[in-house]
Amino acid sequence: MDSQKVDMYLMSNAKFFQPSQLAYVRERLLAADESKWMYIQSADLKDPTTILIVSILAGNIGIDRFLVGDTGLGVAKLLTCGGFGIWAIIDWFLIMDITRQKNLEKLQAYL
Amino acid sequence: MTRNRLYLLLSLGLLAGYGWLIWASWQTTHYSDFTPCFFKNATGIACPSCGVTRSVLQVSHGHITEAILLNPLGLIMAAIMITAPFWLLYDVILKKDTLYTSYKKTEQLIRIKWVAIILIILILINWVWNIQKGL
Repeated sequence: MDSQKVDMYLMSNAKFFQPSQLAYVRERLLAADESKWMYIQSADLKDPTTILIVSILAGNIGIDRFLVGDTGLGVAKLLTCGGFGIWAIIDWFLIMDITRQKNLEKLQAYL
Repeated sequence: MTRNRLYLLLSLGLLAGYGWLIWASWQTTHYSDFTPCFFKNATGIACPSCGVTRSVLQVSHGHITEAILLNPLGLIMAAIMITAPFWLLYDVILKKDTLYTSYKKTEQLIRIKWVAIILIILILINWVWNIQKGL
């Protein structure tokens, strides 16, 4: 894909990925085929800030994990009342990076 | 999530769970006072899984009906806590990944829309029942 398109994409979507992975994402996007553009744009990326808010409000019943796509861990969190509340607090700090990681995995499916 | 990560998390969870159960069964007098649940401490309302500890303890004493009346989720929890250690050992010793593949399959099953909707409704009904019981 041409670099203008890729840079535009990265500018508007930088918050969805870890800063350290942006260079990698750019490289892979540049190498990707033009026909993938539609799929890449329609990838269902989750906003880390939104997930953090959900985690703070409803982390005790695992909603954040369900949203991110870790259904199994979500069920575990729901059944144990947020891992006795401790796991819920740990997730306040981890969930943003987990979301960014999951976003990258979603994008990688098209690259 | 990789296989080893899942097994590590599961064994840590099982350890914590059994530790908590032993502590809870010793501290039966403290029951009504202390709860680790933030949701209940913050709002005063029971959360969907409040009463699971008491329910599992009832199961361990053989009172299945009381366990269901307390919180049906306790039965699921008890089943997981009884089967998971053996399954985990079986997989680790024989270097297999049967638990991991069935975990992945369950995840996919739960993600099907109508299954998810039914489960959410069941959890909500259980929550309403929990609040009504005043757990």
